[in-house]
This record gives sequence, structure tokens and C-alpha cells, in this order.
Amino acid sequence: MLRRDGLKIIQEQITNEPVIANLGPSTFDLHSSGDRDANLYTWGAMGLVSSIGLGVAISAPQTKVIVTDGDGSLLMNLGSLATIARQSPKNLIHIVWDNQMWYETGGQATHTSTGTSLAGIAKASGIKNVLEVSTAEEFKTALTMALNNEGPWFIHAAVEELNEKRNRPEVMVEENLLRFRRVFLG
Amino acid sequence: MQLNVAFHYRGLLYSTYVLYNQPMHWSDITISSLRSHSIFHATYVPDAINWNILSKLENDADFKVIPATREEEAIGIAAGIYAGGQKSAMFMQSSGFGNTVNALAQLLVAYRIPVPLFIGMRGGLGEFNEVQVPSARPIPAILETLNIQYYAPLNEQDVEQYVNGAIELSYASRMPVAILWYSQLVGAKRATS
Repeated sequence: MLRRDGLKIIQEQITNEPVIANLGPSTFDLHSSGDRDANLYTWGAMGLVSSIGLGVAISAPQTKVIVTDGDGSLLMNLGSLATIARQSPKNLIHIVWDNQMWYETGGQATHTSTGTSLAGIAKASGIKNVLEVSTAEEFKTALTMALNNEGPWFIHAAVEELNEKRNRPEVMVEENLLRFRRVFLG
Repeated sequence: MQLNVAFHYRGLLYSTYVLYNQPMHWSDITISSLRSHSIFHATYVPDAINWNILSKLENDADFKVIPATREEEAIGIAAGIYAGGQKSAMFMQSSGFGNTVNALAQLLVAYRIPVPLFIGMRGGLGEFNEVQVPSARPIPAILETLNIQYYAPLNEQDVEQYVNGAIELSYASRMPVAILWYSQLVGAKRATS
């Protein structure tokens, strides 16, 4: 499946739920799938998107919170899976688009290309619900389950990467943060 | 201050301490300041100095305390708590500060996310562990370079003004602000055999 297929499915299934995207193609693709106030784009602090998502989930327990991570980034912050398991927020859905590469720096192969299983690490960390998908159909089923049942959820989605030019959206980070936060302040 | 009082009653010797003009402990002053600014979330990587505060927060139903595996992770969670509409403070030891630099720069400073940072400073007066010195010594300069303001109350009388002031400054400027706990205030850790 392509990441953009997954994002389209997310957009179809959610209403006001926040989506927090990892730096790199996750953020570009989330923006081009439809900009909205409840989207938070990260452009740096590589590895921390799942920690940010955990914070949002703790801060706003009344809503499902979707994090879209990447394999290279999650490999940088594996401790986050243990922290998520320890906190066990019922409303967190942690999706990892795994393209087996560090795309932004030239497509170098990550450790998932040589057999490391992020889903296995998530399970061993104690995360209750771990799913592995590789087609859009499977992803849709997994997401529906995660949106309608208590989490935390970890969905590992194997994706093919498209080598294409992506345009940087004109959303300044400060403005992005403020408008995202206002969603929760009501 | 405390006064030792001994007295006889019905043939038995009693001894007790009478407390007078007892100043609040710096940890209690900090907790009261967090409460008055509606900061009810705390993320941390353990530190013996900050544990004076965190151990009390863990037993206080008003507060949610979130331990992380590494300092930058704790910064990320704190940023998320703010993004999700609440406030949080972050606690760490000076030895872990170096792990936070990228998260401070690319998340808290770049996005203008206010998080009060409480740093237990090793490596100062009375330090026994030589490796604590080179990691703690550059912290003020690094904070300065990152454009993050920092304050260090050295005696209990200053704690309320410094902590309240730093928290207010953090939210007013929408920037992290650091409070550094030095051994002059909190005491030096002793080497254990």
C-alpha cells in the first residue's frame, strides 16, 4: 500500500480527531491529504512524534489521538513504546508507515529492512493491541477496529515509497501549534 | 527552625521538638506554585534532587506524573500535553540535560511551547563524582545559547519568587524556562560505599 492510501482511509473515518505526523514524507502526505486545524505537523525533533502523541492523548483523554510515525524515527525512540505501554492511554492509535528507509536523507536502508520487527518490539514492550498490515484493505479494517475499541493501539503498516517531489506546505510551526491547541480549548 | 524541649512528667523524661517559624521546604513551595498555575502534569527522568518534589506529586491525586525512559522523550510528552490543551512541567538531572538539546531547539523553542524545566544540578559544591562536573558546568551557557532563560534559587527564601516568576515568564513568553537546583539549596549528594 501507499502511505497516501492509508491517509485517505484515515480522513474518511475520522471527524475532529487530532492527527500528529512524523517529520518527512508523513507530514508532507498528511498535509496534501487535506489540511485541517487538528493536524499537527512535525519538522524536526526526529523520533519524538509518538511521545508528542502520548502527551496529547494524556492531555485530551476524551478524543482518539492518531499518530503517524516512521520506521527510522521510531527506531530513534524505542523507549517511547515502553512508556506508552506503561501509561496505556485508551485513546492512542500509533501508526507506523514502514518504508524500510530513511527517505529524506537519500533512501538509506533502515534496520527494519534487515529483519527488525517494530510490531514485535511494540508487543514485547507491553502494548496491548498490535496489528500488522500491508494492504489498504487490511489497514482499513485495523483502523476501524482501533477507532471503535479501547487502546492503546499500535498499527504497523508496510508501505511502498514513491520517489516524488513534495512541496513544503505553507504552515508555520508556531501557527500550527496554536491552532491545533485551540481545538482542545473549545 | 526547631527547638529541642525536654520535660519531666510523672517521673518520666519526655523529649520533643517544637517547630517555630518553620519555612516551607523548597519542594513544597514548588508544588504549591505548580498547583496555583494549574500545572497538574509532570514528566521526568529520575533525579534524586527532583525526587523531593516528584515523590510528593506521585501521592497527590491532583497530579499525573509520567516517567520517561530518556530526557528528550519527556520533553516530547510535555510538548504534547501542552498541544492537547493542558500544561506540564519537566524534571531531569543535569547529567541528562545533554539528551534534550535537539528536543529543546526543534520542538519547544521552534514551536514556542512553554514548559517549565526543573534541573537537579550535580557537579557543583560538594560533588564527589568527577564525571558529573563536565556535564553540568556548560548547562547555563547552553541554555543561554538556546535563548532559554534560567534561574537558580540558592536559598529557601528565594524559591517562591523564583519558581512562581519562572513559571509565569514561561507562559508569558511561550518559551521553556529552566529552574536550576544547586547544592547550596538542596544539599550535595554523598558518595555511598
